[in-house]
Amino acid sequence: MTSSRSSLWLRMLWVAPWMVGLALFYAVPLAMSLFFSLTDATMIEPPRFIGLDNYAALARDRVFWRCVANTAIYAAVAIPLAMILSLWLAALLSTRHALAKPVLLLVFAPTVVPLVAASMIWLWIFNSDHGLLNMLFTAAGATGPNWLTTHGWAMSALIIMSLWSVGQSVVIYLAALRDVPRPLIESASLEGLGRFRRFVHVVLPTIAPAILFNAIIQTITAWQVFAAPYIMTGGGPDRSTYFYSHYVYDQAFVFQHMGYAATLGWVQCLLLAVCIGAVYLCWRRLGDLR
Amino acid sequence: MEVTRRSAIGLMGASAAGLVLFGPRADDDVPTDRLVLNYWEKWTGFEGVAMRELVDEFNRTQDRLFVRYLAVNSINHKAMISIAGGAPPDVIGLWSFNLPAYAEAGALLPMDDLAASAGLTPDRWIDSVRPLLRHEGRQWAMMTTCGSLALYLNLDVLESAGVDPAFEPRTIKELDDLNDRVTLRSSRGSIQRMGFVHTEPGWWSWMWGFQFGGRLLNESGDPTATDAGNADAYGWVRSYPDRFGAEKLLSFQSGNGFYGTAQNAFLQGRVASVVQGPWLANLIEVYAPNLRYRVVPVPVAEAVYDPDAPVGLFDGDVVVIPRGAAHPEASFEFIAWLQNRARLERLALAHRKNTPLRQASAGFFERHPNRSIRVHRRLASSPRAFGVPRTRVWPRYEAEFDTSFESLWIGRLSADDMLARVQTAIEQETEFARARRGARADV
Amino acid sequence: MKAAHPTSSRRRRVWPWVNGACLSLVGLVFALPLAWMLVTSFQSETDALSPGLDLPIDRPAAIISQAHQNYRTVLTDESVNFPLLFRNTIIVVSLGVTGTVVSSTIVAYGLARVRLPARRAMLAMTVVAMLIPFPLLMVPQFILYAKLGWIGTFLPLFAPFWFGNAFSIFLMYLFFRSLPAELEEAAQLDGCSAWTCFTRVALPLSKPAIAVIALLHFTFMWNDFLAPLVFLVDRDMFTVALGLHFYQSRAGQTPWTLLMAASVLTMLPVLMIFVLALRTFLVSTSAFRHASPETRSTSPGRASTSHRTAGRGAH
Repeated sequence: MTSSRSSLWLRMLWVAPWMVGLALFYAVPLAMSLFFSLTDATMIEPPRFIGLDNYAALARDRVFWRCVANTAIYAAVAIPLAMILSLWLAALLSTRHALAKPVLLLVFAPTVVPLVAASMIWLWIFNSDHGLLNMLFTAAGATGPNWLTTHGWAMSALIIMSLWSVGQSVVIYLAALRDVPRPLIESASLEGLGRFRRFVHVVLPTIAPAILFNAIIQTITAWQVFAAPYIMTGGGPDRSTYFYSHYVYDQAFVFQHMGYAATLGWVQCLLLAVCIGAVYLCWRRLGDLR
Repeated sequence: MEVTRRSAIGLMGASAAGLVLFGPRADDDVPTDRLVLNYWEKWTGFEGVAMRELVDEFNRTQDRLFVRYLAVNSINHKAMISIAGGAPPDVIGLWSFNLPAYAEAGALLPMDDLAASAGLTPDRWIDSVRPLLRHEGRQWAMMTTCGSLALYLNLDVLESAGVDPAFEPRTIKELDDLNDRVTLRSSRGSIQRMGFVHTEPGWWSWMWGFQFGGRLLNESGDPTATDAGNADAYGWVRSYPDRFGAEKLLSFQSGNGFYGTAQNAFLQGRVASVVQGPWLANLIEVYAPNLRYRVVPVPVAEAVYDPDAPVGLFDGDVVVIPRGAAHPEASFEFIAWLQNRARLERLALAHRKNTPLRQASAGFFERHPNRSIRVHRRLASSPRAFGVPRTRVWPRYEAEFDTSFESLWIGRLSADDMLARVQTAIEQETEFARARRGARADV
Repeated sequence: MKAAHPTSSRRRRVWPWVNGACLSLVGLVFALPLAWMLVTSFQSETDALSPGLDLPIDRPAAIISQAHQNYRTVLTDESVNFPLLFRNTIIVVSLGVTGTVVSSTIVAYGLARVRLPARRAMLAMTVVAMLIPFPLLMVPQFILYAKLGWIGTFLPLFAPFWFGNAFSIFLMYLFFRSLPAELEEAAQLDGCSAWTCFTRVALPLSKPAIAVIALLHFTFMWNDFLAPLVFLVDRDMFTVALGLHFYQSRAGQTPWTLLMAASVLTMLPVLMIFVLALRTFLVSTSAFRHASPETRSTSPGRASTSHRTAGRGAH
């Protein structure tokens, strides 16, 4: 540890901007929304304190439980798939193949496609009448489902779409993979470890920080998924793709229950914190792989 | 390689800097010697252009006020945040169904006195307009443009299906008959063409009860989703997935192009009739100028048919002054200026919509680009024209309807179950809203 | 090791082919939706939404003139004013990314390497800041910015990032923790202060990580829709991501070809920056090898221990 000699105040200067930022742009607004969650505020009326009524109302709110279940299912499927896919892509792209660079560009590009355009593209791909996916099904002699309007399929479609934009995780993995010292790998192959085991036992532990970061990001993204289902399915059919953030948005801005929306937001934070805790515990087990 | 990369970075940086330094500026010709009013409106494109022209004219014709027209995305959402944050604009263009929620929250300035002093008396509107502007005994807005829903028939499709193009489906039964004659299936059983289908475009999932004599609210403002008319209506809706097959209908639906494109199912002749407002004329002009079409009132159940009192949804765009606007009188001066008959008609012609005023100037209907505008006018003036139900919980009501309609349409709910589900949810919501209101009144 | 495993040399000839096949497949899958987007932006409006990708391939001149027309319309249409949207976006994004990079690296280094009280609590708060959904903060932040007089300016979009950004801080923190501490210890023995250690030793080593946070933050800000929607009022200050919605909400008519052309134009700068930055985190030699040849020659056992501790860095 450096700088044990300089005074505490001087050392605190390192993190001072962030502490100010946290207080100003997070803590104060968060405190305000905590207060909102204890009131019956609509957006445009002065709030009235109602104690924990909003929190009690959650238990009876069937739509809330539906959204929690939908989002949990989405997260439970999308996160592991995205983690595995992005790691595999990063491993693949870190090879010195001539195709690696152009393919990396193609993998990254989807993350910068504006959302309106991306939704249009995927609406076409999933179109059951003349969409790309069902044309493939037809070519294979099968009949494709009504992707976006059938129970189960709509969720699958949204998960598939989310996998298209794993590019950012791939980039983070690539940056981390670059720092895996060659001698480590070389000595591992001298010990006779195969490609796969070399990857699991040598590479994975060294890129552990990146794995943690990506896992956290993926968890947050999955729990906050909103825009794509909002545009593509509108939460349907029959609320089967109605996700948590969409419900928060509806409660706040459509149904005008700002207080209740703030409650939902706080509960979302808690759920996320629990999930991230779980992710962290899983990640610590990574050390046992070696 | 390194050199090209460096120069590429330099080039990009330079062009970015160039764009920032010498690029286009906002042509902010806002005069400093006038009172500036910000006017948020939802219209972009040709609708925005028409409103902007009026605003420009207002700015030209006097020298005290200057109105800045700002087209805003998600206007309801932004309006609420700006009112909550204490920084609202001076005039906002909303939809009439927003009014109960805003009015009850005290987020708007009432307009009765201002309107009276400007001589804008309520009898200037057609009868259907007045209730849309009022809530709990006060007027909260002025209407700019309006429209009523009617049934658009594609005559080419009817003819090719062997239906007399002069045939006018007046009742639901006649609409079903027409549907049976027009609907085509492929050899593999998939639907190729339909005479009518509720989900094209499917924007008003809650309106079908009205065509059967049902209603969604009683006089005291309680939901009545399960009344007999609604039960009949949604029983009829459910007969579609039952007869045609839910999967087949969904498949057909996804073959339809998006509404605002040349692939619109009605323009393409995939669906022979759709419920739409007068603005459909704009799409026809742009994408199918030679389309032969006819406009008739939306069919109703046989039991409630009355040729003199057609039933159809009527709604309009309104302008309001938000609470916290800095210069309400100046805001109203602009709103009152807009209310001039010739100006409202100019706007209506440009938007392909109707004028909300009782008196139309000579030639308005003749000059209107929608040649069936008179049918829409007749619907709007009908004693049985209905508006969006006036309740604060309407957004929730509508969302519940949309969701439950979907479940009905895919065959997962019966009509009765669907309506019961809506009824329960909205009863709770209404009760909650009343309790909240009561508690505030006590304080 | 080459001579040690004669069997592996045959395998080694197979692997490039396997990799090539996988890469081609991945490229194809990821490219297809993009290709559709690009093709649509070249089409006439009538062709655009008909099933299949209709391009008059036999008449390239027709394609070029249609593409030219689409892109020119996007760039010259007064009612959208794309160049102005670009200018606004560049101002906001460049200020925001600079702020994020500067403050986040400093803060992250402080958290990773400077002895601070309540360091863990600060880290935990950073993670919490990442997981707060924006809608929860939206209205209170608006009220705050209205009080500060920031509404109607670009400040709400970039100024908060000058105080740090949770994602960037966390990523940089993990990175700094994974740097071998010996380097800075050596520098300290030479009498360097914490600040000099940071600027002379840590920063030069962290170019790839900085490139990553800059790139990710750039993409985030470039495409962010919600914050500009909430905090910007004046159309003339809109960013590209917000302006794209003008195409969608044109009362009935949505010119998909123009929307796609505008989207392609929106993506281009980000992709160009990505290509230019690619080298920094992909091709150039590893940070370790650059700065400290001795780490290379250390025994694998030792290097791996230091990495093990690094991996556990974020307790």
